[in-house]
Amino acid sequence: MFLITLSQRHMVKVASYFGNEIVYAKHVQAEIVYADNDLKEAKVDTSEKFKFSGASYCVDLLFIKGSGSCPECGTALRRSNFRVQLFEDPYIEKEVDIRKRILRDFNKKEEDFSTLEEFNDYLEMIETIVFNLTNNIDVEETKKMIEQYRKENKEQIQKGKSKLSKDEEYLDQLIEQEQMETEYRRKLIVEEEQREKAIKKKNKEALIDELMYSERSAKDILSTHKADIENQPPESTVPRQAATAFSTGIKLLSMIIMKKFLQGMQQGFMPIPQEEYVESYRYSPIHMELEGPDPPTHEEILTQGYLSNIRSATDQEKGGGYDSYLACQRAMLDAVCGLFYVPDTFGGGSSKNQT
Amino acid sequence: MDEKQKRYEKIDFLGEGQFATVYKAKDVVTGDIVAVKKIKVGTRTEAADGINRTALREIKLLQELHHENIIGLLDVFGQRSNVSLVFDFMDTDLEIVIKDNKVVLTPGHIKSYTVQTLQGLEYLHQHWILHRDMKPNNLLINEQGVLKLGDFGLAKFYGSPTRIYTHQVVTRWYRCPELLFGARQYGTGVDIWAVGCILAELLLRVPFLPGESDLDQLSRIFQVLGTPSDEDWPGLKALPDYIQFKQFPATPLKEIFIAASDDLLDLMSQLLKMDPLARCSTTEALKMPYFSNRPPPTPGPQLPKPSTASQKDEAEKEQKSLKRKIQMESSGASLAKRLVF
Repeated sequence: MFLITLSQRHMVKVASYFGNEIVYAKHVQAEIVYADNDLKEAKVDTSEKFKFSGASYCVDLLFIKGSGSCPECGTALRRSNFRVQLFEDPYIEKEVDIRKRILRDFNKKEEDFSTLEEFNDYLEMIETIVFNLTNNIDVEETKKMIEQYRKENKEQIQKGKSKLSKDEEYLDQLIEQEQMETEYRRKLIVEEEQREKAIKKKNKEALIDELMYSERSAKDILSTHKADIENQPPESTVPRQAATAFSTGIKLLSMIIMKKFLQGMQQGFMPIPQEEYVESYRYSPIHMELEGPDPPTHEEILTQGYLSNIRSATDQEKGGGYDSYLACQRAMLDAVCGLFYVPDTFGGGSSKNQT
Repeated sequence: MDEKQKRYEKIDFLGEGQFATVYKAKDVVTGDIVAVKKIKVGTRTEAADGINRTALREIKLLQELHHENIIGLLDVFGQRSNVSLVFDFMDTDLEIVIKDNKVVLTPGHIKSYTVQTLQGLEYLHQHWILHRDMKPNNLLINEQGVLKLGDFGLAKFYGSPTRIYTHQVVTRWYRCPELLFGARQYGTGVDIWAVGCILAELLLRVPFLPGESDLDQLSRIFQVLGTPSDEDWPGLKALPDYIQFKQFPATPLKEIFIAASDDLLDLMSQLLKMDPLARCSTTEALKMPYFSNRPPPTPGPQLPKPSTASQKDEAEKEQKSLKRKIQMESSGASLAKRLVF
């Protein structure tokens, strides 16, 4: 059962009965707010304490429509802002949450700085901000600072969002390499097994042949064969070495390129959609059912004095994109539209009379 | 009324704006999937004023508009003081398509979206209606790849010689310079400019002119397209909120949209003309070579579909927040509902 309680300070506390799982809301200036498990009292920022006022609401009920207003202070709340606590210690939860939020904007990478020192200063600044917000030190000032940073670096932030850092790129590459490697190794093992099987079969056949046609004693043949097989250089060790050589990472990149190239050759670079012939676009005017005579055309309005009957547009109106031609055209359309209209209710007889 | 309410079976909750809650529902009579937009009653004082203004606009206009590229208002029903509008169900919108990194937009796709947008707009303009909130978020797309103009909450008749209009319309990023200069009388140019911005966004995959304030919006426009002079735009200085801007030289569109074909750039320069009277009309735009040239617009069913549902949800959340911001701006709605984090 989820409970929600509210304080006078426009803060919301949401707590759950289920074990350690605490649901909390971010709400106006509310920090991370949570309640004790026994629900006797709710804490705000560990220092202030509030008694439960007895006003408890089921979150599910409150947000039945996806949003609802705080039953006590009326501020609108959204369900999407509620989530389940991950860490047992709410302080950590809060810190992680704030860090996540801050890093969304402070997303510069090491490559963006010319010196390591600048980058370290930058990292230190982030830490200070996170620490301040988590421990409620100079919250207003810090927030102002973040806002200012956000304004000044808007484009950089946008760019940073889509860019992977070099580390991430490297990681992606590594993962891809590893996957390829395991695949390659699996293939080698399968091949090796097949080869081994083939050799065994060959040896067996040779033995049987010899037993059939040779004049030596069977015992003699068997023993020499055994020795032969043991002395046979294991062919399979060669590819095995190759596999280990690959896994050291040398030449892996070239191998990936090769493999990609081969895949490209095999599958075609992109799924080419079925080439259907599509007609080019041709403009066709919209037909308007006017039920009246044709209104004057564009030229006629301009040349035949229609405009003299209408107030000419001022400079201001023209600057805004209004022209007396517009009003004239609309007036003419309004005038002719519906002149030939015959209401159905009169029936056939009356319509004849009218025409 | 009770019958009508029973006619639509709620399937899913889709989203919530400031004025309405939208549900996915099934029409029991026809079996079609529809979207039901339930207008919020709001506060007691709002309720005393009668039906919400944006809802009224939508009902009034959409009842008479019937076009392939305009959202269809299928039904309206009410219960007590509440009004619900029933629309065609649309799977996605252009903003989601643009933001989905997995979707590759070919020249054919872009042409298709642009043609459909302009066709819907041509019909609107021919019937003397301005949409006044053209943006990717309001260009809805269904499963068959048909694009329809949606959200007629700001739409209004135009072409009256006496009526004064508010210039606080259109989401800022898609707002044309005359509106930003406070024009109180304007025409189809406001929608055309927005189409130009949308076309640019389809090419860039990020908003073309993301201004942070009205002033910033103007300076961004001029930085890209050059500060207009009196010759470029007669009557410019007569506009109510006109202020002198620094002279910026125009950047050739070719340098911004390096991958775009010349016929497309021709179209864009016509759509983004500074002087609203020199800006092309929808009909003129549709007659330009870009549309009849190859490649042809991609047929609807072959248009890309945004990938996973989870991404869609995320995009929807974002889109909702964006929408709220605009509505706050445009209609000065009650601030109490605003969430501050």
